[in-house]
Amino acid sequence: MFEIDFGEDGVIVVVGRLDAAEADRAQAFLDEAPGACVLDLEKLEYISSAGLGVLLKTHKRLGATGSGLKMIKVSSHINDIFKYSGFDRLFEIETADG
Amino acid sequence: MLVIGLNYGGRSMEKKFKRSFAEIRNIVSMTADFFAQESLDSSLRNTVDLATEELFVNMVTYNTETETDILIEMQRANGGIEVSLTDYGVDRFDPTKVTSPDMGVPLNEREPGGMGLYLVLKMVDSIHYEYRDRTSKITFRQGAA
Repeated sequence: MFEIDFGEDGVIVVVGRLDAAEADRAQAFLDEAPGACVLDLEKLEYISSAGLGVLLKTHKRLGATGSGLKMIKVSSHINDIFKYSGFDRLFEIETADG
Repeated sequence: MLVIGLNYGGRSMEKKFKRSFAEIRNIVSMTADFFAQESLDSSLRNTVDLATEELFVNMVTYNTETETDILIEMQRANGGIEVSLTDYGVDRFDPTKVTSPDMGVPLNEREPGGMGLYLVLKMVDSIHYEYRDRTSKITFRQGAA
């Protein structure tokens, strides 16, 4: 199960499993997102390299306009993936436990 | 997805999957079933799911000369799990020998891709590759004593 949609205050809420089967859908949504994006990952259960690729491509697109991605409410195991991949040094990240 | 063998007496499970990303949800279901069957530590799930997906996706993406299904086997191993993925009719490609992405290149200058196998090699406890008669078999272990 995977869902991505706008929540309150324009925050993009990502829910479920962002894997290779869902990467195209996530990319299509984020390609249409204007300006700086804040992603609420509280209910993101899983992310693979395909999902990381979506985030990287989006970050690069936004970076060309001087903005970028911010992740909030990131769970510890998703944050571990960000750390292993080096994404923790690229994105602004707020973990779920602060 | 084709179930070719189940051993509900425990310890092992094997299924064949079409060469499609749409099969990932069926692979996740297989993994969930095996974890439940064997009462495996749920903290192993994320790494097992990630490694299995990345290796499966790599086979689907790069072994394009065949339409043969990919076999996935799971078995209990010293309190942990051992997972094997077997691909048939393919050229030799040892994912354990893949060079890591150039970590010296800033992430925002990298192109998407190349990260999956790097994560697998970094996260699993052990990994082994066999190639014989145009058949590739890669096996990893997680949580085994």
